[in-house]
Amino acid sequence: MPVYNDGVEVSHVSKRFGPVLAVDDLSFTVKPGAVTGFLGPNGAGKTTTLRMLLGLVRPDTGSATIAGHEYRELRRPASVVGAALEATGFHPARSGLNHLRVYCTVNGYPSRRAEELMDLVGLDDAKHRAAGGYSLGMRQRLALAAALLGEPGVLILDEPANGLDPEGIVWMRRFLREYADAGRTVLVSSHVLTEMQQLVDHVVILNRGRLVHQGSLTELSGGNSRVLVRTPDPERLLRALRDAVPAGVRAEPSGLDTLQVCDLSANQIGRVAFSAGVELHELTPGPGDLEQVFFDLTRGPVDGPVEQREPA
Amino acid sequence: MNLLIAAEFRKLFTTRLWLWLLLGTMGLTALYASLLIGFSEDPDTMTAPLTTPAGQRTLFAVASGGANTLVAVLAAIGITSEFRHKTASATFLATPRRTSVVAAKLVTYAATGAAYAVTSLLVVAVIAVPWLTAKDIDINLLGGGLPGTYAGVMADVVIFALLGVGLGALLRNQVAAVVGLLVYRFVAEPILTGIPALGDWTIYLPGSASAALTQVSLTTQEYLQAWQGGLLLAGYALALAGAGALISMRRDII
Repeated sequence: MPVYNDGVEVSHVSKRFGPVLAVDDLSFTVKPGAVTGFLGPNGAGKTTTLRMLLGLVRPDTGSATIAGHEYRELRRPASVVGAALEATGFHPARSGLNHLRVYCTVNGYPSRRAEELMDLVGLDDAKHRAAGGYSLGMRQRLALAAALLGEPGVLILDEPANGLDPEGIVWMRRFLREYADAGRTVLVSSHVLTEMQQLVDHVVILNRGRLVHQGSLTELSGGNSRVLVRTPDPERLLRALRDAVPAGVRAEPSGLDTLQVCDLSANQIGRVAFSAGVELHELTPGPGDLEQVFFDLTRGPVDGPVEQREPA
Repeated sequence: MNLLIAAEFRKLFTTRLWLWLLLGTMGLTALYASLLIGFSEDPDTMTAPLTTPAGQRTLFAVASGGANTLVAVLAAIGITSEFRHKTASATFLATPRRTSVVAAKLVTYAATGAAYAVTSLLVVAVIAVPWLTAKDIDINLLGGGLPGTYAGVMADVVIFALLGVGLGALLRNQVAAVVGLLVYRFVAEPILTGIPALGDWTIYLPGSASAALTQVSLTTQEYLQAWQGGLLLAGYALALAGAGALISMRRDII
């Protein structure tokens, strides 16, 4: 099995678009042999970061390298890194196959390679159709095919699951898993963590252009305990909890009659509810719901050092 | 570089635009040539009689007018569609050196322009030879200075292709580039050259430089020498392409 020592390194990268600081002193690394999720809400700076990594957007400060080189220095980029970016287009009148053939030609691969790739991504039946008539899912497959052209050691995909049907998502997941298991580097961005939960080994989480978390997926879910509470009177329960815990209670309503209470045990909550006379319908302690953790990490100013620094 | 040029040709020939604009060029050239022959005996005509070599050179020079603007449009679309259809990302991922992409497009569209020019000249020949023969006018396609006119037409159309690439590279916006080209060619420059007070310097405008290349015109205006016009027009094209490559193409691809 080949070993690819082709990690990705982003080091103190910043980028401003007019008044907006899109990426703010961002550093992270992506290791080979694993699938890394690049997560954050829309507008967090994911696409800008990927475009800086790929030499399409010039960072104001810092550097981003792939396999130790800036993208522009790569001599045969297609064989080092393949990228499928969101909002990367196709000429609507050009067939999918011809689209790939253009990039086969420019990279010096025979046209046969385009046929193989169309087959690989499951577009064989549609290869002679104009790409303008492709569904979003088919465009995603075509973009992936283009990224795979040179069998690169690093694969960078921006929101690849967007528009894929469930079958397509399963297929993509299996494909990326195998790709990473062969020792290659896979970086996949998404704004929907649940999409990624079953796929990624590591996560890099971004919010407002800044890194808020980097680590393994298990680390992410382990840190935070929460308890799901269902009660017909969540407001009264919350008041009682706040009275009982002077230091403050972090709780989120998640539905009409449901609360997610952080950092308190089910026992503590049950006791408070009992003494306050609040009726409970459910009290479920659980490991932090990943989605909720993600939500907490990437929502507006809560606490901690991350959100205190507003873009100047 | 050869691979890049081959890829540009593949882009060009995997959509139909080149064919439509080539048909447009043939139609336009046929129209111009027919009008010129049809009205050649009109007492008000400003062209030399078709029995003279000068008249025959003027006739073949219409091939450039039929082809040059449409070739420039084809070239401008060829580069701006990368931005309109967002294929620029993929193009620059494959070729991070963006000036190389502009250079490859210049070569590709110059060659395409040459092919358009040849086609356009053939259209004139196909119309002119039988028609003039029917009028009992002798025409020698290799005499009367005609080869010089062919060369002028070729140079003119090729340089217009470069102009199109350059303008497209600079503007990046397809509508702006195409509309700008058409408005300049058919509205702005005719108005400018029609203002007598500007007479001295309108000979340096691209359209006049283009007319200088074939040394014929339906107006009575003076032109630069052919080589001067050619150099000037090529200068415009390369200035646009250079500015496009160095300024506009370096901008972020978002």
